[in-house]
Amino acid sequence: MICLSRNEQGAELLASYLARTLDTAARAELDGHFETCTDCRGLVSVWERLDEFKAPEVTPGFDARLYARIAAGEARVSAWRRWLWPPVAPVAAAVALAALVLFIRPPDAAKQSSLTSNNAEIELVAQAVDDLDLLIPLADTRDR
Amino acid sequence: MEAAVALERDAQLMLRVRAGDDTSFAMLLERHRGPVVHFLYRMVPNQAVSEELAQEVFLRVYRSRATYEPTAKFTTWLFRIATHVALNSIRDRKKEKGHESLDEELLDGMERQVADRQQTVEQEMVHEVKRREVRQAIEALPAKQRAAVLMHKYEGLDYSQIAAVLRCSESAIKSLLFRAYESLRGRLAHMA
Repeated sequence: MICLSRNEQGAELLASYLARTLDTAARAELDGHFETCTDCRGLVSVWERLDEFKAPEVTPGFDARLYARIAAGEARVSAWRRWLWPPVAPVAAAVALAALVLFIRPPDAAKQSSLTSNNAEIELVAQAVDDLDLLIPLADTRDR
Repeated sequence: MEAAVALERDAQLMLRVRAGDDTSFAMLLERHRGPVVHFLYRMVPNQAVSEELAQEVFLRVYRSRATYEPTAKFTTWLFRIATHVALNSIRDRKKEKGHESLDEELLDGMERQVADRQQTVEQEMVHEVKRREVRQAIEALPAKQRAAVLMHKYEGLDYSQIAAVLRCSESAIKSLLFRAYESLRGRLAHMA
């Protein structure tokens, strides 16, 4: 068997071995491989070394501190709710007013757009008239 | 109804918390307090900071109760919050200057407390050196690799859960874990 750490499938098998999710037969096969493969044996050894990194027990007051924070948070939320409740009506009125303004705006915008369009047409006509004016002297010259 | 029965126990408890049952929250806390604190301790690693972060995790769980939906395993959701909190803390701590020496002192004192009092001084020193080396090797990993190794090695999360926590594909997690173990092997080869 080639070194398991050299390909993805082997690495996955090795990780399953470490996590103890392999069946007995597959595990025994890998145990045989580790006797001859120093790289894989090294990885297994590292996995075992990691057991040295112990975490301390949780301190006794943990839950009490947490519940105190939860209670403080809930109290804050309640206070905010009480504080916010009376101005709800004015806020709703302001929102309704804003919505009304938005409804009124589109006709203005349409009107503005229409005016802009009219102005452009006037400019085009004026330009055409100017062009005609330019032709008049030429016509006058020919008449002469 | 069948779906509700099929729900894992933790998710059922969390749904009861959502319905206003604080006893279920206490049960969830009892079941997961240790793993979350230990995970955070190995991520940070400082006991006071890890407990502070764990409090933040459980506070978030409690505050999210109204919108909780059992779309994933409860532990996946829990460790996603824990990992998020831990990575933010690591990022913030990197910005602070001079915290490392303080943490070292705190950690050393803590590890001494954890050590078995019955051991001889010499044995204790050997274990202390080994613990320190392993801790430093894990600390030297990039934060994401560290989180993956800790969930895989110490908390027993499977690939799909770790992938969900870190928002990666399962194949990416396998590759990430393998790189991490390779790196640890390099750093801890002398201990084999």
